[in-house]
Amino acid sequence: MLAHYPYFIAAWVFLCGLYGIVRSRHLVHTVISLAILQTSTYILLLAIGFRKGGYAPIFADIHPGVVTVDPVVQALMLTDVVVEATVVALLLAMVVKAYEKGGTTSPDDLRYMRG
Amino acid sequence: MPSPALLVAIPLTVAALLSGLRRLLPRRCADLLSILTALGNLVLASLWTLHALHRTQAYWFGNWYPRGSMVLGIGFVMGPAGCGLATLAALLTTLALLYSWRDLDSGGGHYHPLMLIFLAAMSGFVLTADLFNLFVFFELMSVAAFALCGLKTREPAPLAGAFNFAVTNTVAAFLVLTGIALLYAVTGALNLAQIGQELGGRHDRLVLAAFTFLITGFLVKAAAFPFHFWLPDAHAVAPTPVCVLFSGIMVQLGLFGAMRVSATIFHGSLAPTGLHDLFVVSGAVTAVWGAMMCFAEHHLKRLLAFSTVSHTGLMTLAFGLGVRNGLTGLFLYLTGHALVKAGLFFAAGILLHRFRSVSEPALHGRGKILPWTCMLWFLGGLGLAGAPAFLLASGEARITGAAPWAETVFLLAGVVTGAAVLRAGLRIFLGLGDAGPVDRSSQVDELPETTDAAHTIHWHLYLPACICMGGAVVLSFWAAFTNGVFSASRGFLDFPAYAHVVYSGAILLPQRIAPSFSHTAPLLQALVRALLALGLAFWAVVHLRLPRWLRWPSHLEGSMRPIRALQSGHPGDYVAWLTVGCATVGAAAFWLVR
Repeated sequence: MLAHYPYFIAAWVFLCGLYGIVRSRHLVHTVISLAILQTSTYILLLAIGFRKGGYAPIFADIHPGVVTVDPVVQALMLTDVVVEATVVALLLAMVVKAYEKGGTTSPDDLRYMRG
Repeated sequence: MPSPALLVAIPLTVAALLSGLRRLLPRRCADLLSILTALGNLVLASLWTLHALHRTQAYWFGNWYPRGSMVLGIGFVMGPAGCGLATLAALLTTLALLYSWRDLDSGGGHYHPLMLIFLAAMSGFVLTADLFNLFVFFELMSVAAFALCGLKTREPAPLAGAFNFAVTNTVAAFLVLTGIALLYAVTGALNLAQIGQELGGRHDRLVLAAFTFLITGFLVKAAAFPFHFWLPDAHAVAPTPVCVLFSGIMVQLGLFGAMRVSATIFHGSLAPTGLHDLFVVSGAVTAVWGAMMCFAEHHLKRLLAFSTVSHTGLMTLAFGLGVRNGLTGLFLYLTGHALVKAGLFFAAGILLHRFRSVSEPALHGRGKILPWTCMLWFLGGLGLAGAPAFLLASGEARITGAAPWAETVFLLAGVVTGAAVLRAGLRIFLGLGDAGPVDRSSQVDELPETTDAAHTIHWHLYLPACICMGGAVVLSFWAAFTNGVFSASRGFLDFPAYAHVVYSGAILLPQRIAPSFSHTAPLLQALVRALLALGLAFWAVVHLRLPRWLRWPSHLEGSMRPIRALQSGHPGDYVAWLTVGCATVGAAAFWLVR
């Protein structure tokens, strides 16, 4: 059970992010909640690649036979970080523009398109 | 043959160039360069499609070939279905760029690079053989789409639409990533074929959870009910050529993602366990829901957007049925819909250019001075309804030929969405009846997106729409096209052949001739559908002259408060629906497999 706890944390963080987006009253809060939701995928990926007693997968100074953690998931996570940075930057830029043009940062007041 | 990597590399390079030089380069140069790039993609993708019809082959970046059962590198599989969709994406991008020649507001020079990035991402998405690359191209496509959607930053409405779009689709992308992580944990592989072989027919709880996350993520992009809420908001505010790409190809690529992972990773558990029924039910519900919402709309772009929801639902349904019966009809329908819908959006763009409005009540009777646009619009409406001679009708006949009960859903969705478009056409271009009910979304005004004088309509606005409508008719009579689609769709579901391409480099495809198809019964059905759509449109327009008990189309047209209130415009609501939908998909998957 104890070995699985990173997965429960990942699920919990994912749900926290979802709850934050659903209940959000401020656009910046929405964006940050999305970033928190994304953090769950980091935890999940790193937990999957973890090996007990594993070294960092840099083979310059360790013997190739030594147990290391999985480098593939770390590469995936790095890509994930790049993706997130792009999306969050774009969303925050939209929030700034929305505030300039509409004078509001509440998702409730931004509902121009309904029905 | 030139390397397939060029399909992604050239647009990305030109996009970087255009983006770097956007302050120096004159507008016409940017236009010309981006059109030429998209045209280059079109030629290259067509060549590869022709090649792939005879010989499907794998391309490995940096020549990292597989060793034994282990796939080391990242590759493209140049299958006919993927190449065909890359061709369609390049065609629509070329036409959209042609439409935006000189006049369209380019958002400070960001428009052209973003369109090319979008094209590169779509090409990579349909060709890649690697699950993680599928996610990367999915995200690249999404980010370019978010930025394109919010391009008109001078008013707040596009920002709201783009924000909802971005939040919903980013949550979906993380669902996809979670699914990928789970699959990697189970199999230790990221190549689609290798994961498929490792899993075989395995469908324990972990695999089903991965299935749920992956399929939900892709269905959000495919706008299946209840994940579709972002789509009308995004379409209503995006510039016209961007709407063409959204409705014509991007939404369908979401479905294509679901189809690709189903046909490779889950090939062993999909048909045997009945998981494909999930697509049947979800597609049918989406088709009916989208059609109802479509008829209730009076904002032309939103009306077309809901029709996209409905028709993509029909395609999802067709995939669910096609797992056993073949996908020829689906691919014909997808191509036909892309062309017809693109044509309709171009026509709506012409109205926006000329009258600075896309609201049905505001445009009542004003379209009489645009006979060509009128013709295009009515052709599009009839095409959506599935009138004879359109590619949609021949696709539909093949889908429902194997499952007659689906005919009801196709009839309902086709007739109602077609009637909604025709109704708007009767009011706008012929000035019949009253102006129609005014509702909140039809009152949202759009700032003009073109900078040129409004009273002139140049050839480059008409040409793309004419090509689209012409293509949707001509392709349905071209036997070689149907045969090509037939072999492509047979290859798409053939997992052993796909794995063989990945592991041994290439496979020769046997040339197949599509089974001959009786055209008389479908022709009659198609004719009846077109007449029904026209009848319903007339009924809705002249309802005030009818006795009170015959006025029910007017109830369908606008007074559906409770269900329209669900389209609330709040990102939190949309994500809540997404969560509910994801849980439902998961519960249904577990229940189906039991």
